[in-house]
Amino acid sequence: MSKTKIECINSDLIRELDPEGRLNIGLCLQCGRCSSGCTMRRETDVLPHQLNRMATLGMKNEMLHSRHIWLCASCQTCVSRCPMRVDTPAMIDRLRTMATEAPEELSRIRTFHESLLSSVSRFGRVYEFGLMGIYKIKTRDFFSDHRKFLTMLRKGKMRLLPPRSSGRGAISSIMSKIRRAGR
Amino acid sequence: MKYAFFPGCSLESTANDFMVSTLAVARALGIELEEIPGWTCCGSTAAHATDALLAASMAARNLALAQDMGCDVIVCCAACYGRLAAGNLAIAESAKMREDVAAAIGRDYDGSVKVRHFLQILKDDIGLSEITTAVEGETPGHTSKGLDGLKVACYYGCLLTRPKELSILDDPENPQLMEEILAATGAEPVEWPYKTECCGASFSITRTDTVKTLVGEILDMAKQSGADCIAVACPLCQTNLDLRQQDVEESRGQKVDLPVFYFTQLLGRALGIPENDLGISKLITDPKRVLARYR
Repeated sequence: MSKTKIECINSDLIRELDPEGRLNIGLCLQCGRCSSGCTMRRETDVLPHQLNRMATLGMKNEMLHSRHIWLCASCQTCVSRCPMRVDTPAMIDRLRTMATEAPEELSRIRTFHESLLSSVSRFGRVYEFGLMGIYKIKTRDFFSDHRKFLTMLRKGKMRLLPPRSSGRGAISSIMSKIRRAGR
Repeated sequence: MKYAFFPGCSLESTANDFMVSTLAVARALGIELEEIPGWTCCGSTAAHATDALLAASMAARNLALAQDMGCDVIVCCAACYGRLAAGNLAIAESAKMREDVAAAIGRDYDGSVKVRHFLQILKDDIGLSEITTAVEGETPGHTSKGLDGLKVACYYGCLLTRPKELSILDDPENPQLMEEILAATGAEPVEWPYKTECCGASFSITRTDTVKTLVGEILDMAKQSGADCIAVACPLCQTNLDLRQQDVEESRGQKVDLPVFYFTQLLGRALGIPENDLGISKLITDPKRVLARYR
């Protein structure tokens, strides 16, 4: 990691992460309340208060390559307890859309998100059975949780057929309108 | 009292026991639920993580349909509650967002439809004393009533709790809403510190080991606090705490044996609704031992 001048706040990166100026990133006090309550504190490489600091120091590359942006559980504990209302989870959402790829071992998190969205785009609602099929093919992980599947089937908690909704085409239409509008 | 009911995807599948028990309890208490016709996914399906406009539009489409029905929206799933309420807020706060959403969904929606969780309806529109009266009415002449003495750990998780602006709770760090409702049935909620911890449900499929640790800690704390069972209001939490409980037991070689009910199942039981109509048999951790006392 290159030496970073800690005295200068990099407002370019803050603007890029928060174009509308709603996330209070520059207000972080480094008190650490966020990190002490972070659900993923035991597994992550960078804690929320560190990520906030990285943003003010302009460490874009390091942020985009941190495991934390994929490991964040979106539990919102950090922002809820923050005395300055720094919205770290929203900043992480933004970083996820900016990151071109997730680290190898975490790429299945992204694959799962994508599989969910494609399920909804197709059926208007989540089709769990189909979603799990797509996810398993994409990750080539066919055997984990197969007993859980059987349990859910036996309990009647997993539908084999896709949901039927009169709103079926609505989500894909919303998605393509947003794409066309160039967002 | 009539409400526009938004069930959400989970209540149609993995949480169909939440669905049947909600409908049964609503019927018993005179709450009329009219499903929003043609509703679609609320947007919790990772839409918020990738595109704020898409997330707000997915919520707004449903809320605009509810606006046509002219009544408040009632939601049971904590994730749906969070996304619909967040969509409302995003649209109400920003004229630009309202405009962009209108272009995406093909109609203007102003963010004004009230989105409420079933727990709020029970406390604010029905009332705790009314619930107690209904429970007592089911057991005339009996010395014990409802769920007398059932030790229950009420678990809220994240989505009803945070962020503060959307929370349905008086105190997001130590809420009492579910406790008050279940106490009205004679149950005895335990005080415990993990009621708003995250169970990691979003990683249940992708990082099972992480989730096993989180679930194990929550279950242990509930037990240590003297609970016979857990009550939840979120399909993701229920599935995670119930289904992953088996994994925790397997890796420890030791039973945890803590049933995880939807609050509607316990409330329904106290109201004298047959277990079949509450989806009790769909729970994975067997609740017979806990409920046997109340037969």
